[in-house]
Amino acid sequence: MVEKTQERRDQQKNNSMEKSNFESTQEFYDEWLKTYKATIGKFIEMPAVGPAREKSGKMMKGFSTFMNLYAAGMDTSSNLQTVFMEAMRKVHEKTGTEMNGEITPEKYKEFYNTWIQTYSDTFKEYSRSDHFVADMGKLNSYYIDFQQYQKDMLEENYLKPMNIPTKTEIDEINKELYLLKKAVKELTGQIKELKEKK
Amino acid sequence: MNGLNLIEDHDKFKCGMEVILKAPEFPVATTPSEVVYTDDKMRLIHYIPIVEKPHSVPVLIVYALVNRYYILDLQPDKSVIKKLLEEGFDVYVIDWGYPSGSDRYLTLDDYVNCYMNNSIDTIRERSGSDKITLLGVCQGGTFSVMYSALHPEKVKNLVTLVAPVDFDTDKGILNLWAKGLDVDRIVDYYGIVPGDFLNSGFLLLDPFRLMIDKYVGMFDRIECNPQDIACNLRNEEIIKNFLRMEKWIFDSPDQAGETFRQFMKDCYQKNLLIKNEMELNGKKINLKNITMPLLNVMAEFDHLVPNDASKPLSDAVSSTDKETLIFPTGHIGIFVGSKSQKEVCPKIAVWLKPRSFLNGKRIKNIRKNRGSKVNKK
Repeated sequence: MVEKTQERRDQQKNNSMEKSNFESTQEFYDEWLKTYKATIGKFIEMPAVGPAREKSGKMMKGFSTFMNLYAAGMDTSSNLQTVFMEAMRKVHEKTGTEMNGEITPEKYKEFYNTWIQTYSDTFKEYSRSDHFVADMGKLNSYYIDFQQYQKDMLEENYLKPMNIPTKTEIDEINKELYLLKKAVKELTGQIKELKEKK
Repeated sequence: MNGLNLIEDHDKFKCGMEVILKAPEFPVATTPSEVVYTDDKMRLIHYIPIVEKPHSVPVLIVYALVNRYYILDLQPDKSVIKKLLEEGFDVYVIDWGYPSGSDRYLTLDDYVNCYMNNSIDTIRERSGSDKITLLGVCQGGTFSVMYSALHPEKVKNLVTLVAPVDFDTDKGILNLWAKGLDVDRIVDYYGIVPGDFLNSGFLLLDPFRLMIDKYVGMFDRIECNPQDIACNLRNEEIIKNFLRMEKWIFDSPDQAGETFRQFMKDCYQKNLLIKNEMELNGKKINLKNITMPLLNVMAEFDHLVPNDASKPLSDAVSSTDKETLIFPTGHIGIFVGSKSQKEVCPKIAVWLKPRSFLNGKRIKNIRKNRGSKVNKK
């Protein structure tokens, strides 16, 4: 994740949308991630030992999952901020002189129209980039991983010990039910066909 | 002058809020109908014909799994269904319902070869017509194409409305986004893919317009003349129509996971349908099996299903009687815009009428020179 982030930063330098960006914020964030990976990150990924190794191993895995989500979230958010900065710059370009002097309701309206049009167009342009697609795909995947981890932990630590059916168990029943219903429908259809032939 | 404008804007907001605070009712899907068949959560709806003798071949409208069918019957004066009834058709619609946890294993095969097929058999039985006209809308159009290729003997005419078949295009933003989606991860986790998950994707298409400007626009359309009863009624209609659309937009059923998986992977990511490589339950879908008359209708400014995704259908089928219509409107506008009532529905009706007779009884008005024709309206 960290290496990929750095790789992406380099790519961004060639992207015009990224030029007026939050470079110092990103640098700080990259440094932070590198430091994390080199210190706590390593500690967390260390194999667990001892009688509770299974449980603590799983819990530590959860921490990595969260960090991946956090890193993807920071990445997405800093990229979006860059896009919005670019949009703001364009709005300023378009409205800079017009907004001088007395601010009348008409000016507010014009400003609103320019603002919405510019932000909408700039975001649309960004949303068509490979960059955005990769960002959203990654954020979404890490979000799901984290949710999955939470669900697994909930099932294992609470539902199972309390003898409450888990989603996994309910899904097994749903699958059986689905297959049974499908078989019944097929057989009903065959019976109907046979009756019609008679 | 400036002060007056500010007051006017404030008054518009106030008038609009007054209407909203009255909590007006805004019924949707009001065209009289009856449910004639159900299968699990799916319902087959039959609309009560309003002409004495409807055309012999009934029309089945198949809508997408995303959002609900009633966009085609959103309000009495903007109803594709009502318009088709007025044109003398016997109209049915499939309502897919709201899948829940127990439906996560439903497959595309279940939707096309079970629900659609059973509905079509029911219609054939009720109407006495061996074949029906399939009018597929959006994803429902893709389903209709699949069905027509697998069961051509039951389809008299195929009409596709803003239906994607070739997903390998960079014109549609959904096509671009779908490629970066880890579909397996999503389906494995959710099982039933939440409608809200998809809706947030649709909102991301243009968040500033869809989450801010749309609401500003609603108030902007309000006229402020509290003494004028006609003006108040118009305001009420503006708000009601807005709320109807708002209800429809956010009325997003969850998606059966396995169906979502196959649709996204086989269509959006691998583009198998147009290559005749897609399979349902082991049976290959060959678009060359489509030999019935085909009307392929598109919206020129469609941001969800670009024309490039719909156009290739005409060349992929074997039909000799085929026509393409493109209207200068958008993906939703084609159902509810003013052009929908004035142009889209009438054109579809004109095309369908001479083709809506049972064998041996028709066919006065079909063009003698059959062949592919593209009309840009």
